[in-house]
Amino acid sequence: MNMATVIAVIALVLIIFLAVRYIYKEKKKGVRCIGCPYAGTCQKHQSGNSCDKPAV
Amino acid sequence: MRIAFAGNPNSGKTTMYNALTGRSEKVGNWGGVTVGSKEYQLKKEYSGGQEVIAVDLPGAYSMSPFTPEEGITSEYVRTANPDAIVNIVDATNLSRSLFFTTQLLELGIPVVVALNKSDINDKEGTKIDVAKLSAKLNCPVFETISTEDKGLADVIKTAISLAGSTQKAPYTQADINLHDKAAVDAEDRKRYDFVNKIVADVEKRQVLSAETTKQDKIDTVLTNPIAGILIFALVMWFVFWVSQTWLGPLVADWLVGWIETFQGWVAGQLENSPAILSALIADGIVGGVGAVVGFLPLVMVMYFLIALLEDCGYMARVSAVMDPIFKRVGLSGKSVIPVVIGTGCGIPAIMACRTIRDERERRATSMLTTFIPCGAKIPVIALFAGAFFNGAGWVSTLSYFFGLVLIFLGALLIKGITGYKYRKSFFIMELPKYKAPSLKFAFRSMMERAKAYIIKAGTIILVCNTIVQIMQTFNWHFQVVEEGAEDTSILASIASPFAVLLIPLGFGVWQLAAAAITGFIAKENVVGTLAVVYGLTAFIDTEELALTGGANEVAMTMGLTSVTALAYLFFNLYTPPCFAAIGAMNSEMKSKGWLWGAIGLQLGTGYTVAFLVNQVGTLITEGHLAAGFVPGLIAEICMVIALVLIAKKVRAHFDEQYALHKKTANAAA
Repeated sequence: MNMATVIAVIALVLIIFLAVRYIYKEKKKGVRCIGCPYAGTCQKHQSGNSCDKPAV
Repeated sequence: MRIAFAGNPNSGKTTMYNALTGRSEKVGNWGGVTVGSKEYQLKKEYSGGQEVIAVDLPGAYSMSPFTPEEGITSEYVRTANPDAIVNIVDATNLSRSLFFTTQLLELGIPVVVALNKSDINDKEGTKIDVAKLSAKLNCPVFETISTEDKGLADVIKTAISLAGSTQKAPYTQADINLHDKAAVDAEDRKRYDFVNKIVADVEKRQVLSAETTKQDKIDTVLTNPIAGILIFALVMWFVFWVSQTWLGPLVADWLVGWIETFQGWVAGQLENSPAILSALIADGIVGGVGAVVGFLPLVMVMYFLIALLEDCGYMARVSAVMDPIFKRVGLSGKSVIPVVIGTGCGIPAIMACRTIRDERERRATSMLTTFIPCGAKIPVIALFAGAFFNGAGWVSTLSYFFGLVLIFLGALLIKGITGYKYRKSFFIMELPKYKAPSLKFAFRSMMERAKAYIIKAGTIILVCNTIVQIMQTFNWHFQVVEEGAEDTSILASIASPFAVLLIPLGFGVWQLAAAAITGFIAKENVVGTLAVVYGLTAFIDTEELALTGGANEVAMTMGLTSVTALAYLFFNLYTPPCFAAIGAMNSEMKSKGWLWGAIGLQLGTGYTVAFLVNQVGTLITEGHLAAGFVPGLIAEICMVIALVLIAKKVRAHFDEQYALHKKTANAAA
């Protein structure tokens, strides 16, 4: 396996991992549509709280 | 500590909230943009290091709610006990605004009045004696300009210092029977008299409200039922022409050149690597995501122009023009707002439906509003316009106005199914003053959309394209698919059954079916998937395609004619929106029956439109009907039968629900 392949595999895994992690985190925040502005997030999250916990 | 921001619609609450919190919530130069409460911490520079939460509330004219969003505001200030209220008052319309102010002052919660838009007053020569107004209202008053951060620090500093104190009301409503309408009306008139007296004392105007101004003269033309619609069509054509035919593609060609160079470089670096890796990275990720990103300039230019139109006050006039037509087909006048918002994104458009009072109208609007092509569909339109119609601007304009026609037809259909009769409904919307649109606002709005677009491309689209590439590369035994045996791939075997259903529409191949399916995750995916499955990133280079004769090259690759390309485009535009928008519909409709009805209606509409375009178009261009006419016709007949059965069921249920007695025969028995 040459160096370019190794770098490509690492880059591929990293890119996919970061993308999936971002999607997961946004969904946890209550974002309906990733990337859509004004698409609404969970109301509690807007004040800096977790969506599962009561608001401050 | 919590500070509530309350005031009349379009007084600038959300603009102030954004300036104080650093958020970028949707703002617009018209009332009704904010439909729910939002809260966020104030920036430290304003809160002085304390933890202060700002609560942005929907606009309200009074504490007696007329619309659901006004109800949110009155309920919040009554029951949530904020520590202080910042009442944002439109300084250009003091007499109307102070009615609500005097009601807020009665609650006992300290109020600070922000006389917003005071710059417009300066231009119009209107003077307000702030000190006198403050004395008459028993509360601090500051002149503010939210868009320039002027006076905001003073407002917040004072609100924080007053938090927890008791507000003395300048006017107290008499102890009346609130169920007695006449008594309530009389009391409201007294309050208006009180307000008018204050306004007469503190305000000096050069332009009186009763005078016919230049703006009024412009409005008579722009809101004329016929001229208004023609002007709107012309304006939208211009927006699409600039964004998708002239300026947008100019920048896009340059960007696509860079993407292609980068893709070539990546492919070159992976020359000695396994073919699957090269395909995944160079074709799947760089090619697929690049195909979507290539359209970014078109989307950015369009959002910039729409933001200018919103900011100058034109879109509010469009609402006034469309209102009578919407009412005529059984929708609410307020249905116009979601439709206009829908040009940006379907989700906030569906959320905006909650301002519609009547449940049936609200559900019908959220069901139909996504027929207006949203920003995510722009790349799909641009791709097909560029490849098959020499980048013609009319394709976008047609898609937009055809979407409007489908809304009207869909509304009539729903009206017929539910047995709804014409009901007089009111749509009260204040027409904002015309102003020179702010380039800063438009630029900011455009950049927010661009950021969102890139995030979407780098996450959802990237993951989807990778999955599509893997599914296309391997068969079910997880062996790499040989060249020429692409039909054995996982993707082909999943998409092929769907492709069969699409034969009457003129695009019954698995590649196009797969792209349409991935479009339900995000509509931009249609472009990304097409680029991946056909390996054609150069596809989006409209200039290059124009040089090669437009449709020829793409038609050879995709097996589409101009007619079937238009059918495929319309199929993607008018079938159900992405899953996220369907989720939003579910939340707003609160009825599984209506949700499934909506999905069925959208699927049926997209299918029917594509079927008609393909069959009629082929008949005109080639003199014969297209393949699959009979099966398509059978599918259409089945849809009509399903509609009749649903209508019967709905009406039977309606009779059961509202009949005062059983049918005569039963009654006699």
